[in-house]
Amino acid sequence: MAKTKAKTLRQIAIYGKGGIGKSTTTQNLTAGLAEHGKNVMVVGCDPKADSTRLILGGLAQRTVLDTLRDEGEDIDLTRIMKKGYLNIRCVESGGPEPGVGCAGRGIITAIDLLERLGAYTRDLDYVFYDVLGDVVCGGFAMPIREGKAKEIYIVASGEMMALYAANNIAKGIRRYANQGGVRLGGIICNSRNVDRENELLEAFSKELGTQLIHFIPRDNVVQHAEINRKTVIDYKPGSKQAEAYRALAKRIEENKKFVIPEPMTPERLEEILVEYGLFDGIEDYAI
Amino acid sequence: MAKKKTKALDLKLANVDSREMRLGSIISWDGSASELVEISQYEQRSRKHSGSGCGVPCGERGKSCRLAELNMPFSQQTMCAQSIVACQIGNITDCILIEHSPIGCSAYHPRFNFGYKVGLLRRGKKLENIRIFSTNLQENDMVFGAGGKLRQSIRDAYDRFSPKAVFISMSCSTAIIGEDIGSIAVEMEKALGIPVVPLFCEGFRSKHWSTGFDISQHGVVRQIVRKKRKKQDDLLNIVALWGTDYFTEMLAPLGLRVNYMIDMASFDELAQASEAAATATFCHTLGSYMATALEEKFGVPQIDAPQPYGVAATDEWLRAVAKAVGKEDIIEEYIESEHARILPRLKKLREQLKGVRGFVSTGSAFAHSMVEVIRELGVDVEGSLVFHHDPVYDSGYEKQNTLKHLVDNYGDIPNFSVSKTQQYQFYALLKRANPDFIVIRHNGVAPLAAKMGIPSFAMGDEHFPLGYDGIIRMGDALIGILARKKFNNVLKRHVSLPYTDWWLSQEDPFILAKHPEILDEAPTAFDDFKEETYAK
Repeated sequence: MAKTKAKTLRQIAIYGKGGIGKSTTTQNLTAGLAEHGKNVMVVGCDPKADSTRLILGGLAQRTVLDTLRDEGEDIDLTRIMKKGYLNIRCVESGGPEPGVGCAGRGIITAIDLLERLGAYTRDLDYVFYDVLGDVVCGGFAMPIREGKAKEIYIVASGEMMALYAANNIAKGIRRYANQGGVRLGGIICNSRNVDRENELLEAFSKELGTQLIHFIPRDNVVQHAEINRKTVIDYKPGSKQAEAYRALAKRIEENKKFVIPEPMTPERLEEILVEYGLFDGIEDYAI
Repeated sequence: MAKKKTKALDLKLANVDSREMRLGSIISWDGSASELVEISQYEQRSRKHSGSGCGVPCGERGKSCRLAELNMPFSQQTMCAQSIVACQIGNITDCILIEHSPIGCSAYHPRFNFGYKVGLLRRGKKLENIRIFSTNLQENDMVFGAGGKLRQSIRDAYDRFSPKAVFISMSCSTAIIGEDIGSIAVEMEKALGIPVVPLFCEGFRSKHWSTGFDISQHGVVRQIVRKKRKKQDDLLNIVALWGTDYFTEMLAPLGLRVNYMIDMASFDELAQASEAAATATFCHTLGSYMATALEEKFGVPQIDAPQPYGVAATDEWLRAVAKAVGKEDIIEEYIESEHARILPRLKKLREQLKGVRGFVSTGSAFAHSMVEVIRELGVDVEGSLVFHHDPVYDSGYEKQNTLKHLVDNYGDIPNFSVSKTQQYQFYALLKRANPDFIVIRHNGVAPLAAKMGIPSFAMGDEHFPLGYDGIIRMGDALIGILARKKFNNVLKRHVSLPYTDWWLSQEDPFILAKHPEILDEAPTAFDDFKEETYAK
């Protein structure tokens, strides 16, 4: 058997408020990396199991936990890992039935099983963990604990609750930074077209001690691509939006700035929002 | 007859509030017994007065209801409600307990099996192994839920053992993942045609393990005790643990039969609890919930008296029982003849035990009675330890206020402490009280006392000191125990305790609750070792 030279595997977790566009961003970003010839695996860590739909062209994936439940641990990796656009490897951890069991623990179980089945091959350049919404409990912090993902990016927008969630996630990263060596690589702005969004996100990132690694503008082509079960890079390779995702991929590829974030108090967060983002007073917003 | 209470125990819900919520119970305190009587405000806390059942007369639940506890920075040992449920419900002879948990929660089973067998022998029942089963949950069960395994376990237990009822106990892990044992119990009860009883006893809900007794009794009263009943006027319920049947002999002159609950009882014995003439107990901290539940749900009155240990309390208890069953006409003669019978022996024992100093370390209300018994025997008691303290019992009956009864009838105890068998603390407690012997029911503390030259009366049988004869039995046993003092003193000279000299020099057993910061300055065992080594 020919020896493959071991590469430095970058394991990256993408966090952010629910509905902020983590899965869309992750899949477009990985498509951009794959275009550059990188070997990438995406692990969806959301019980809804919809993190790899754009790369696989639909929800064709059997989740790790469904397979584990129905067939046990003695399974072949190909049962739970599918290759999609540009050979990006896709896995969905899945979860228990709603209202039963523990989805957080399920993520731990799924990642352990992937390791045992040999999913982390030496030719991989990147593994991305696309993690459900906020870090709701210890299970969802799993990718940043125990040294799985050493690099975190938080997807946010200029909306208050998105920044509030991002700040909370930064607290989670800080908690584990000393044990597992996890670091924050930056904030990705998935624009919602709110006032002075770029400046606000710049200020927010600076306050956290990190960088705004890229600003993804809002464009309807994303919705069109999603309806067609494709990433923008696949659906409209020549579009401006595809370029934006390629630029994000390049920034991440070249990123050297990894920090232990300095989460802020809710009061400080509100000050920044008033200073940069919101011309109308904070009292107009439901907190 | 008892006054009507303003608020009943809630038997409609499967859930039981913890003792700290219902009664304001505490597990760490230090002071005199009379002081604890005073701050407990038993009568004011009683639901008869407050209407809340929680504590102080404000009638509202909350922080203000709590007695100030001496919170220690760590515990060396304790129990949880889930394991209390196992040693209660697991001891019903023809029912099954299924622990819905990973296997570690069942680590107590060998000990409980031993206790069950001893209990069966004491009660003259057929010897058999305990029947508690674990669903033995694994990682995947935590992820996916384990309702299927629970259903299967209930079915398997039913098929193999034909139990008359199945109980399910919740554990911490199954509670965290929200296992719906309530719905599964309803479903399986329909499917099997026997009671299936869910018990919500996950340990993390409370540091008060004693709530496990209440949860067990709650489940039995709700789903096992017969609703359609035929009164048995000569039957007296006794809420007990594993003690020898001394009650039958004591109650024979009143023509009463005894119905022991819950340990070693059969399904039918528990079911007939609603038919009894009255309910009593050897320990109100154990039995008050069940007695009150039976009273409120089925109208079975409870005996409003202290526990039948020591002359004064036994007199009062017998009078209250006689009143409840309409035998007041014969009771005074019985009491008088019993006094006359034991008095010569008691006098002799008092002479023999004069000047001897004792220390009691047992469960809450039972300890109050043990102090009464040994003081009855002329023993001095300067200090005692109870594992927890209920400022009031669920019944709220004034004559059941056992700590007050002790202080009123036998005098104060200067050092009366509340703490759960913490070995590291026990040394200072014993040093302060300086007893010639200790009375314990939890043998784990005996070795430490032995190394201090103090013999222990490890009283496995909690009924041993019961009634008039019990005082004599106790006195005889103590004479035997004191004969070991010399041996223990020899032992003391040849062993050392596993603590640093710094810790052993601390005089206040609760110093760590008052000044936890001294731990930062404490020398380690290694420092002691270095000192000794360099000195050589």
